[in-house]
Amino acid sequence: MVDADWEPKILAFCCNWCSYAGADAAGLERRQIPATVRVIRVMCSGRIDPAFVLMGFLEGADAVLVTGCHIGDCHYVDANYKTRNRYEFLKVLVKELGLDPERLQLRWISASEGPIFADMVREVTEKVKKLGPSPFRSVWKS
Amino acid sequence: MEVIDSYGMMEPRYYLAWATDEAIRARGANGGFVTALLVSALETQFIDLALVVKKKSVYEGVPVLTNDPEQVKESAGSLHGVPWNLAKLLLECAPDKRVGVPTKPCDARGIIELAKRRQIALDNVFLIGLNCGGTVHPLRMRELAAELYGLDPDTVQKEEITAGKLILRYEGEGGATQEKGLKIDELEQEGRGRRDACKSCTTKLPVMADLACGNWGVPKGEQKTFVEVLTDKGAAILENALNKGAITVEDATEQSIAVRAKIERAMQALAARWKDELDVLTDNSPSERLAFYTEQLQRCIHCGACKAVCPVCACDEDAKCLDLHDEQDAYAISLYNLLRILHLMDSCIHCGQCEEVCPVDIPLTLIQRRFSERMQAHLDYEPGMDVTETPPYQETKLRWSADAKTSESEGA
Ligand SMILES: Cc1cc2nc3c(=O)[nH]c(=O)nc-3n(C[C@H](O)[C@H](O)[C@H](O)COP(=O)(O)OP(=O)(O)OC[C@H]3O[C@@H](n4cnc5c(N)ncnc54)[C@H](O)[C@@H]3O)c2cc1C
Ligand code: SF4
Ligand code: SF4
Ligand code: SF4
Ligand code: FES
Repeated sequence: MVDADWEPKILAFCCNWCSYAGADAAGLERRQIPATVRVIRVMCSGRIDPAFVLMGFLEGADAVLVTGCHIGDCHYVDANYKTRNRYEFLKVLVKELGLDPERLQLRWISASEGPIFADMVREVTEKVKKLGPSPFRSVWKS
Repeated sequence: MEVIDSYGMMEPRYYLAWATDEAIRARGANGGFVTALLVSALETQFIDLALVVKKKSVYEGVPVLTNDPEQVKESAGSLHGVPWNLAKLLLECAPDKRVGVPTKPCDARGIIELAKRRQIALDNVFLIGLNCGGTVHPLRMRELAAELYGLDPDTVQKEEITAGKLILRYEGEGGATQEKGLKIDELEQEGRGRRDACKSCTTKLPVMADLACGNWGVPKGEQKTFVEVLTDKGAAILENALNKGAITVEDATEQSIAVRAKIERAMQALAARWKDELDVLTDNSPSERLAFYTEQLQRCIHCGACKAVCPVCACDEDAKCLDLHDEQDAYAISLYNLLRILHLMDSCIHCGQCEEVCPVDIPLTLIQRRFSERMQAHLDYEPGMDVTETPPYQETKLRWSADAKTSESEGA
């Protein structure tokens, strides 16, 4: 069973113009964001190559969050459409691979939605706590 | 007989056809229609080149890209022990050359995928489709000859599939040719016979090609090929051969058409059963799947062969799967393998070429199929069928209609 004290490691890719700014604002407002999250800032969710997500899992992340501007608000015209398209592929891949699909999340979060970012991290932390450590942690190459 | 109207469109679309030249007819698999068609197209400069497979032995065929009609004549006959996929070989050919290629469904699908990726100019390629019941790996063919037919594999001179039997012709005592045939169904019940990819392949007619040629629907004992004309391009190359007198054509009877359709359905049903039977992961839990994938893919020695042969991968050695792969990492599954799976989820045509070349025998056909069939079902997309479609992975807009609608309103 999962150890009650166990804290998951969650990797979040955040777009500079929206979710990163949102997370930053949440911090400035002194809102609690669980310490389970590790944020990597990118200039646009379109920069999040699916390889980064896979690498996150292979490195032992218990969940990976892909975040970006709301559809229509991307600063690079339509790059977040591509993000969403790739995410559909990743979702099917992650599931067939045998990881719980909840471990991969796509969320659109604007710069003013810091509280939503904090809530999302909390929500995913809770979900992943129930799921336990990523099975990839126990199958390192011998 | 008037078969061609002034627009080059053929009416009706089903024929029985054969080579007028007796030598070609005798040498061909089913009347030498394909060979005669290509030879006449080269002689009349209707095409510049032909890509054919020339027999070395029952276990070996070499693809040749040639403008020499004599070479094409020597390539007549079907080689069931030669599981080549010809798609990538077309990359050797200048895009402005007109080429004729006999294609199994998986050859044609690979060519169409490469055309989607702007690697092949499909307008200049004449896909002479061959119906396909499947191929046997050459090493398995040798084993069959030795272990089940009781022959010295090197004495086998010819192989043929007729009425569900694999017939081997060999040099018997005193030099006389003898033959022995075994039922393919029975071989396969014992785990022998065709490649797994072919057993599970449901694309039996090359409907995505310009012509579809085969012996299904041809009355027993007749040296003819059943030809379906699928496109104007197909009609044009057929017309060219007819005008030259290289082929003889008669309308297919209703009965021929019905028999062919019936065999196709039976073969598809058989393939669907094999697909289930060969899928060892059907009843597995997610964690068992993960264990299977890691265990199998950890045996990978990163030779890159599976990528090199894959007919739908158009990347060169600067490919992302190779670039991001680091042999020193301790990853459970290498990024190379995961990225190949990801990038092929919309486009894998399940041809099994990857598995054929894998030096450590990883069951790559099954692995790629497990992922890609799920994605392709989700996308409602079949790769290799229609050159006007873009691979969904490269699309900006989502393909599935419900989301496409919401994305439009969201985008407004
Ligand atoms: C592996 C294989 C399986 C087949 N299975 C069926 C079947 O189940 N049912 C059916 O109706 N028809 C099948 N066919 C088609 C049939 O055997 C004949 O090719 C077709 O009827 C044309 O006959 P032909 O005399 O006009 O061809 P030919 O004039 O003999 O010309 C045959 C052409 O096929 C090419 N060729 C030979 N072997 C291969 C190969 N392994 N891969 C790619 N090209 C090749 C040669 O280059 C040659 O140009 C199959 C063909 C192949 C190659
Ligand atoms: S995969 Fe299908 S089309 Fe290709 S050789 Fe096998 S049976 Fe024929
Ligand atoms: S991944 Fe394998 S089975 Fe799929 S198209 Fe490529 S070579 Fe064929
Ligand atoms: S062919 Fe086999 S060993 Fe070689 S890279 Fe592909 S999976 Fe690995
Ligand atoms: S700029 Fe934020 S997703 Fe593109």
